[in-house]
Amino acid sequence: MKTDQLIPRNALVWIIISLFTLVAPHLGRIPGWVLAVYVFAATWRIMVYQGRWSFPGRWVKAGLIISSFAGIYVSFGSILGLEPTIALLLTAFALKLIELAERKDGYVLLFLGYFICLTEFLFSQDLPMVLYSLLNVTLVTTALVAMHRPGEHQFNRKTIRLAAAMLLQALPLMVVLFFLFPRIGPLWSVPIKSHTAKTGVSDFMKPGDISRLGRSGEVAFRAQFEGDIPPVADLYWRGLVFSRLEEGAWSSLRYFDIPPAERRPGPVETTGEPLLYRVIMAPTQQNWLYSLRYASPASGGVMTSSDYVLFSPTELEDERLYSVKTWPDAVLEPSLSDWRREIELRLPPQDNPATLALARQMREQAASDAAFVDAVLARFRNEPFVYTLDPPLLPGVDPTDAFLFQTRAGFCEHYAAAFVVMMRAAGVPARVVAGYQGGELNPLNRTVIVHQFDAHAWAEVWLGERGWVRVDPTAAVSPDRIEWGLERALTGQGSFLADTPLALVRYRGVAWLNTLRLRYDALTYRWQSWVTGFNRDQQFQLLNDLFGGISVQKFALVLLATWVLVLAPIAFSLLRKRRGHRVSELERHYLLFCARLQRVGVVRAAGETADEFGTRAARALRREVDEIERISALYNELAYGSAAHGAAGPDTRVAEFRRLVRRFRPGRN
Amino acid sequence: MGSTVSHGIRQRLRQRFAEWVNRRIPPARSVTLDQKRIFIFPSGVGLFFTLCLLVMLLTAINYQNNMSFALTFLLATLFIVAILHTYANLSGLTIRALRATPVFPGQHSEFSVQLERGGQREHFALLLKWPDSSASTVNLVERDTVQVHLHMAVGGRGWFSPGRLLLESTYPLGLLRCWTWVDLDLCALVYPQPLACPELPGLATDQGDAAATLVEGSDDFYGFRNYRYGDSLRQLHWKGLARGQGVQTKQYGAYASRSVWLDWEMFPGYGTEQRLSHLCYWVLVFEQRGEEYGLRLPGFALAPGLGDRHRDRALQALALYGIERKPL
Repeated sequence: MKTDQLIPRNALVWIIISLFTLVAPHLGRIPGWVLAVYVFAATWRIMVYQGRWSFPGRWVKAGLIISSFAGIYVSFGSILGLEPTIALLLTAFALKLIELAERKDGYVLLFLGYFICLTEFLFSQDLPMVLYSLLNVTLVTTALVAMHRPGEHQFNRKTIRLAAAMLLQALPLMVVLFFLFPRIGPLWSVPIKSHTAKTGVSDFMKPGDISRLGRSGEVAFRAQFEGDIPPVADLYWRGLVFSRLEEGAWSSLRYFDIPPAERRPGPVETTGEPLLYRVIMAPTQQNWLYSLRYASPASGGVMTSSDYVLFSPTELEDERLYSVKTWPDAVLEPSLSDWRREIELRLPPQDNPATLALARQMREQAASDAAFVDAVLARFRNEPFVYTLDPPLLPGVDPTDAFLFQTRAGFCEHYAAAFVVMMRAAGVPARVVAGYQGGELNPLNRTVIVHQFDAHAWAEVWLGERGWVRVDPTAAVSPDRIEWGLERALTGQGSFLADTPLALVRYRGVAWLNTLRLRYDALTYRWQSWVTGFNRDQQFQLLNDLFGGISVQKFALVLLATWVLVLAPIAFSLLRKRRGHRVSELERHYLLFCARLQRVGVVRAAGETADEFGTRAARALRREVDEIERISALYNELAYGSAAHGAAGPDTRVAEFRRLVRRFRPGRN
Repeated sequence: MGSTVSHGIRQRLRQRFAEWVNRRIPPARSVTLDQKRIFIFPSGVGLFFTLCLLVMLLTAINYQNNMSFALTFLLATLFIVAILHTYANLSGLTIRALRATPVFPGQHSEFSVQLERGGQREHFALLLKWPDSSASTVNLVERDTVQVHLHMAVGGRGWFSPGRLLLESTYPLGLLRCWTWVDLDLCALVYPQPLACPELPGLATDQGDAAATLVEGSDDFYGFRNYRYGDSLRQLHWKGLARGQGVQTKQYGAYASRSVWLDWEMFPGYGTEQRLSHLCYWVLVFEQRGEEYGLRLPGFALAPGLGDRHRDRALQALALYGIERKPL
């Protein structure tokens, strides 16, 4: 083992610091014992450094590796999948520290550290996480630099300066590469995030499912409109259509439940100018996408289902950006197929007898389906129904009967479900639609921010030529909910965002805090749409706008030009420094002294010492003997005597020397 | 057959390279490093790092993860920026040849060089090494100069040239290796191998007493005189010096009276190297005994004397006998 290949102490400290900062953001998704391995590894390595313990033998290392594999397997039930792989990587990272002896071990460890930085991005690309990762990269780079400074046996905080400077110099080039590098599709399929909880509206609905979302202040998606933003009361973001009621739960039709002829959406006649908007959705681990109806996708990879909702063939693991065109007035399915009519009318035959009886009776009294709809809404409006996030629990048997005739308190899903049951009972095709309603307008960038608490359920009724018509029974019970949002609707109940007391959205009343929050949200939107959501379409458009088309020559030219622009100043500043020869204040003033003597004819010969020159000058200039001798003696002392080696008060002596030289004007009188 | 051909080609290439380097970096006592003299290339670690970057790029592509792209590109450009920093770590350094200690064949000579920085930039992990010497790694952080001593086994009599000095560094990231080969025009003097012979045939003294042999008990001490430059340290009167009597040399009068000439002609019929080896042996013997001796070689004569300087001059004459000049 060569000594210059050993890891200096400074590097060891930086390595251990970066080890812990790297594992920190992963803590939520790895078993707790992995952190224990980190503490264990760091302790062992420090003990080795202090000479108390020795490096582990081959069998100990093998044992550690096998037991960590076993540990991962036990904790996750598998070692395949993204999370177990990362846990394994993190454990290996810690174990490598124990046997870190030479530089080559250090390279393996630190390059693994860079890779661990990257794995964090697979889970979050939010701005704070990116900034934190940048810190991590700086720390790992610092450790790399420290490893190449032999003989630093003290922890040195300043090592980080060079690493940070180098990364700063690399940043502009990185930005250019980021926007220019061609984005190609995945080359092969990779392990997916199997253990992340699904968020947002789920694919089936039981009473209480949506009200749970009312307690969360997370952002579900953001939408940016090209033109005017429609009134908040009209923003019904459709996500899922529930046509099937089984065992008290609503669910959507599965693809293979639909006959092949019905799987594609029916043709829709569109007239007039559509609304154009872009949506950036937070990852949900589910397939559906939200849009206003009637929506037609304007970007690739988005499909339309037979009930006119948009979905993605793959689950949303990361933020997803898509563009949509919407014709709000288009008529959906003016003629209904027999199969569709049968499906949208089906009810469990024995359940909710009181509701069914009521519905049939009300339909008989009404002149038309539309009048019947109005009558049911009027009933919700006039009877003492309550809109609440904390409704009383409904019984498992005949829940709709219990809701309509006893508790009369519920959240949107209760009203929507009860309404659809009544419609179907009376022979009017109807279904539940789940999604979000409304949203918060951010005036800074004209986006609509839709939070989880905007989750909503409403109904669609088929009214002959008018097709599917949206009916929102919640609007009848609580008009505030639709007009002003959930917070206003629940004033005084205290259940709004009950689970997230610190969510910034709660403090919308505090003006400056609200401005700050909206500002940050606008930044997040920009970040998501331009950086984390940057894709091939955007790249194509950007390059087209900037350089008027893409060709290999232009590509190379831009790359070369930016690199020269960035690298040339760096090279200049690095190489200029070596030319600037350091002349201390002392030397500068001594040279001034010599120059003044030269003016009166006393020239210092090459190789003449200060002493010799002083003696000679004193002999030549009788009048200034004292001054010359004092200056020469002081220079000798400051340059070569004890003062030159950091003895007390050299600064004041240098100042004195400076004063003497400045006042020295030989041969004037 | 094929291997000999390729061997020949390799030999020729190596020679071409050596000639090219010679033209590019001619020998000099002191060399300041600039772009003409510095070479830079990714190190093994750099290739490994590139491999890691490829893995990261594949991950970014397969997960369609933009921040992973960004990180990969940041590290790739860090690699590019590191070229400048690695280069700057060597640039502006001045390497100065100081000295090489003369030695006998088979011994290790100490080659001393001095590294000097041109500005205030900190230089780290500078590795200095001759092809067959020990290596030394130094920093230039607080001081402007640093002296480096390297040891190397020397060859036969004459001037020993250690070849080109390698100065290399992979600072700051280890991804790039920056190096230079400088010929410092620094040679070690190698004395002849001392070869014992039991007696000195035809010993020549000043008095012409050719047959005189050495007398037993010849190290009789008789007095002091003031130290003269060149006196052997072994004969210094250390105790007197400690008592504050000034620097004095012990005088051994028994041999002061007669000076011995060590002569090339003493070994008729011997080969050149053997003659030199025997002469060398006797120089050392006389020096150790403290007897004055002179040296006479064809075309060279050194008047009798004694002391380290005298011995060194004698040994140098023996070492360089028949050698015209320093090899370049």
